[in-house]
Amino acid sequence: MVEFTQVQQYPESVLAERAGYFPVPGAHLYTVLHEVEAPLARVLLIGPFASERHTSYRSWLQWARYLAARRIEVVRFDYRGVGESTGVFTDMSFRSWVDDIERLSAWLREREENAPLIMHGLEMGGLLAAKAFHNGEADALVLWSAPVNANKVLRSTLQRWIGPQQLLKREEDRRPPSHYFRLLDEGQSVEVDGYEWTPELWRESLSFGLPGAMVPPNDTAASYRRPVRIVQLGKSAAPLVLGGLLHGFEESKDFSWLFAPNYEWIASSLGIPLEAA
Amino acid sequence: MICDKLETRQLITLGADGILVRATYHDVPRNTTGSGSADRKIGVLFLNPLSTPRTLIGDSAVYWASSFAAQGYPSLRIDLPGLGDSYGEVAKDLVTFINNAGFAAIAAAKVKEFSERFGLAGVVVYGHCAGATTAIYAASACEECKGLIITDPYFNVANMLTPKLSPGMVDWARRTKVGEVLRAAYARLREARKNRSNGTLPGNANVNLVTHWKQLVSSGLPILVFKSGEPATLGSSKLRAGTFDYLEHITSFAGQKSQLSLHTIEGTNHSFADRLGRATIREHAEAWLHKHFPSEVAEKRSLIVQ
Repeated sequence: MVEFTQVQQYPESVLAERAGYFPVPGAHLYTVLHEVEAPLARVLLIGPFASERHTSYRSWLQWARYLAARRIEVVRFDYRGVGESTGVFTDMSFRSWVDDIERLSAWLREREENAPLIMHGLEMGGLLAAKAFHNGEADALVLWSAPVNANKVLRSTLQRWIGPQQLLKREEDRRPPSHYFRLLDEGQSVEVDGYEWTPELWRESLSFGLPGAMVPPNDTAASYRRPVRIVQLGKSAAPLVLGGLLHGFEESKDFSWLFAPNYEWIASSLGIPLEAA
Repeated sequence: MICDKLETRQLITLGADGILVRATYHDVPRNTTGSGSADRKIGVLFLNPLSTPRTLIGDSAVYWASSFAAQGYPSLRIDLPGLGDSYGEVAKDLVTFINNAGFAAIAAAKVKEFSERFGLAGVVVYGHCAGATTAIYAASACEECKGLIITDPYFNVANMLTPKLSPGMVDWARRTKVGEVLRAAYARLREARKNRSNGTLPGNANVNLVTHWKQLVSSGLPILVFKSGEPATLGSSKLRAGTFDYLEHITSFAGQKSQLSLHTIEGTNHSFADRLGRATIREHAEAWLHKHFPSEVAEKRSLIVQ
C-alpha cells in the first residue's frame, strides 16, 4: 500500500520541473520544463491528440523524467486549445499546432548551454514533429506510432469514442462512425470526447500527412542527413498508445523496455555519453 | 518569457506538509470581491478521478473552474501524488487504494492548505467518480470543507466503470457467448435487487465509505450530486453502484438537517465532458453555490435584474 503520510524524498530532477505558460499569438501554451544542469541534449516532447492526452499522460511524463534523470533536458507541453493551455480548440488547425512547435523549438535553441535538439512525437504528435523536422527544426527526430496522415487519427479516435456512447443510446438512436464522418464531410461540427471537431479541421486532416521522405520504403535518415528513428508501438505500449482492451487501468506500468533502447539510440546517434540515472 | 501566472490562472505547488502537489489556481476576476462573508471567499477544489490529470476528460474541469472563479469562487485543480504532474508512486490497484481512503489524508491536508494559503472562508470539494470517493473521505476529515459537489459517485468496492470499457470489449460482450452469459447475469442481479429488503446494504458495499457518507449527509453539509443518465444497452447507471441505489437508501433516513441535492442529467455520459453535461453541471452548481455560499457577483446580478 502506498503511504503519503510522511515527507517524501524527491529526486533532484523532479524538483527541477518548471511548469509555465509559453506565449503564442492569442494564447499561452502550458509547458513543463524538466530542467537539468549542463544538458547533453534537449528533447521536445510532442504528445498525442487531445482525446488521448489523459490516457497517455503518466507514461509520457515517465519518459520525460527518465530522460531528465540522464541529463537530457525535456520540454513537454499541451497543444493550444487543449489541456492546461489556453486558446479555443475550434479555432485550431494542424498548421497552427506546427507553428507552436516551431516557436517552442526556437525558444529551446536560444536557451543557455548549447545542446543538440531532438523532436519526439507520439501518435498525432509524431505527424506534427515530422512536419517541423521537415521544415528544418531539430537535429534528430524520434517518432512513436506516427500515422500516415491526420485523418487516420481522427477516424480511429471517433471509432473508439463511439462504442461507449452507444451504450447510452436506444437502438434507434445509435449511429455508426460513418454517420459522423458524413456529418463532418458535409460541413457540420461533431463533438468527440468533449472536443468540438470542426469541418475545417476534418478537411485539413485529409491532406495533412507525413512528408514523403518519411513514408516507407524511403530511407528517411539519408534523405534528411539527420538521425531519424521511427518506431511502431504495439498494444504492449498501452496506455502510452491506445490498443489494449482495458487501457487506462495500467497506472504504474514499467516502460524501461521501451525507454532504454530509445534513450540509447538518442545517445549514440548524437554522440553523447550514456549517463546512469 | 515563460510565466507561471496569467490574468486569472496561476500554476502553483502545494507542499506545506512536505508532500508536493502540482495545481492550477483560477482566481476571481479583479472586480469581484468575494463570496461567503464580506471579504473571505469560498473556494472550490477539484480532485482527480482515478489517473485522469487535473483537467479531467475533455478539459471539463478547466471549464468549470474558470466558470466558478468568474462567479466569485476561486478554484483549484490539483494532481494528487503520483497523478498528473505530481510526483509519487501510484498504487498498483488504484481503485482499491482509493476505495480504502488511500488519498483521504493528503486530500484533506490540501483542502486545508488551499484554504489557508488563499485566506478562504472554506472550501467546497469537487470529485468525480473515484474522485467522489476521495472527496467524501476528505470532507469527513477536515473542518475547512464546507460543501461537496460529486458526480457519478459509487459506493461498492468492485467499481464497474462501464464507460472505461473499450469499444472492443463492448463489442465482445455483445457478440460472444460469454458476453451473453454476463449480460444475463446482470439482468438477474437487477431482478435480485427488487427482492432485497429495505435498509440492507448489498454484500459488495463499501461500508466504510457509506458510513462516512451517512455522517456527512446527516451533519447537514451542503452536498450536490450529479448522476449521468441510464445507459440504454446495459440497463441502468446503477450498474456502477452495484445495482443498489445508495443515494436513495441514505436520503431515506438522512434527517431534517440534510442538505442533499440530487440531479440526474439524461443524455450526457459518465465523463460529463460533453456540451450538455458541462453546461448543466455549471448551471446547477453555480446556482447551488450562490444559494449556500452567496457571492457578491450573484448579489450584483440580482440588483441588476431588479
